[in-house]
Amino acid sequence: MVLITVRLPRGATLDMALRELRLKKEEVDVGYGVVAIDPDHGLYGLRVSAMAAHRLTATPEAMDGPWADPKIEPMGPPGKDR
Amino acid sequence: MRVLVQLRPSPDVVAAVADPAVTATAADVVNGLPGVLLDPTFTPVAVPRPLPARAGGDPLSLNQPLIFSMAPRDASVLVRGEIADDEVSTRLALLPGRDGVVGVYADPVIQSSLTCGGDGPVGDWRDVRRLLAVERLHAEGYDGSGVALAVTDTGVNEPHVKAALGSDFVLDRERSWSPDGVPGRPGEFDVDHGTMCAFDALLAAPKASVIDIPVLLSRRPGGSALDGLLSDAMAAFAHLRTVLDAQPAETRALVVTNSWGSFSPDWDFPPGHPGNYSDNPAHPFNLIVGSLAAAGADILFAAGNCGRECPDGRCSYPDRPITGANSHPAVVSVAGVDVTGERVGYSSQGPGRLADRKPDLAAYTHFAGSGAFGPGEPDSGTSAACPVAAGVVAAIRSRVPSTVLSPSDLRTLLMRSADDRGVLGYDYDYGYGVVNVPGIVEALRARASETRTADGSPWLAV
Repeated sequence: MVLITVRLPRGATLDMALRELRLKKEEVDVGYGVVAIDPDHGLYGLRVSAMAAHRLTATPEAMDGPWADPKIEPMGPPGKDR
Repeated sequence: MRVLVQLRPSPDVVAAVADPAVTATAADVVNGLPGVLLDPTFTPVAVPRPLPARAGGDPLSLNQPLIFSMAPRDASVLVRGEIADDEVSTRLALLPGRDGVVGVYADPVIQSSLTCGGDGPVGDWRDVRRLLAVERLHAEGYDGSGVALAVTDTGVNEPHVKAALGSDFVLDRERSWSPDGVPGRPGEFDVDHGTMCAFDALLAAPKASVIDIPVLLSRRPGGSALDGLLSDAMAAFAHLRTVLDAQPAETRALVVTNSWGSFSPDWDFPPGHPGNYSDNPAHPFNLIVGSLAAAGADILFAAGNCGRECPDGRCSYPDRPITGANSHPAVVSVAGVDVTGERVGYSSQGPGRLADRKPDLAAYTHFAGSGAFGPGEPDSGTSAACPVAAGVVAAIRSRVPSTVLSPSDLRTLLMRSADDRGVLGYDYDYGYGVVNVPGIVEALRARASETRTADGSPWLAV
């Protein structure tokens, strides 16, 4: 699954995203859902299969990404290197 | 940056500087240098010129027998000064050849014992409370009451925090949130990094409501640029936006403390790639950070533990280790100092990748505190410094909601009131300085006396 961003109306749901983007449920990380990044400007994030992302890139106005989704870790405690 | 400037003034000036019977000053040697704040307390020093010992020797080689001439026509003079950190490269390039300048050299602080990872604690949490003037803060009514304090980390263990604090605190189960698939309930996670963060934030804001966000317990595979954990942090921030939007405007106060980051460029697309995170303000996580801050949240990030003197072994960025949201212009990026006020050697130095002037300020770390890592182990890293600073912000917010003082204005206030350390003014080690509670309280008082709200009532009752 890869992270993409899409423009959807305010209050968008996963079903709405599936419909707008013509995605099947199995192509989407349903547990992750649709994440409101900037609801005031209709920007949402979701995780989709690499195949689906590739298909969506054919219509670049539909989505942005894939975006890096790097591993994150606690900053501490720092190691003992000096 | 502190520098030594080598000058070749007229021979009579060199002779005066070299004469032990004469006390010269920087002003005697040079009538100011553009962009260099000369140190008037530093007595200029005459430096001999190395010359070939044998006739016909190479005048530019130091790998031959040399003699050192202190003759006024040969010797030069060193003066000391400071160049603003964001001007260093320009000044270093332009100064030589001007006003008798021969060269400009770094004048590093000579220090053998910066606190590093693995060192024992320096002071304890009571020292931190004293340094933060917590009694005064609370006496003025700044104690975190009514403030939502989100700890995005490995989860909080409520009983451990209570035992370590020796008092109760409010764990806000209703507004806590976990990524999909993370088992466990708010306040019941294993004692670990997140428990330390909660304890450290509560030092200044014991009455804040802690929102437990165990985003770092997510178990996506990671290890590649596309399948890590940052997307879970993005979902956490989306949840926090709903928390913020649900608050009444007159008491809107959400502080988010983030003691985490991404250590390796191998997990990211390279800078310049449109999907990159570390250097890309358009990455969706960086967008959601800006969006949440614009909506009224105070967001703090640890600067990181990749300081030059003793970096964490995980640090993989070859330079500019304050990356991504940790360097976002809308967050407070927090460096670490021990309770003596000295920067800890692992605290990451700027400039940041999204905004140049990072870190913003410094707060206390490496003290005996929560005991989350076992008896005798300090609360350490900029991981501890960040929630210590977040606690101060949460304390302030108990009387000053974000609808009255925006996160941006509060950030400015924190920076302006900070206790300047390192070189004069902003620097990449301490930012604007160490968080300074008395200075903040005074600044709030001054602002309150000058400002009234739209209906004519005092901005802040003092």
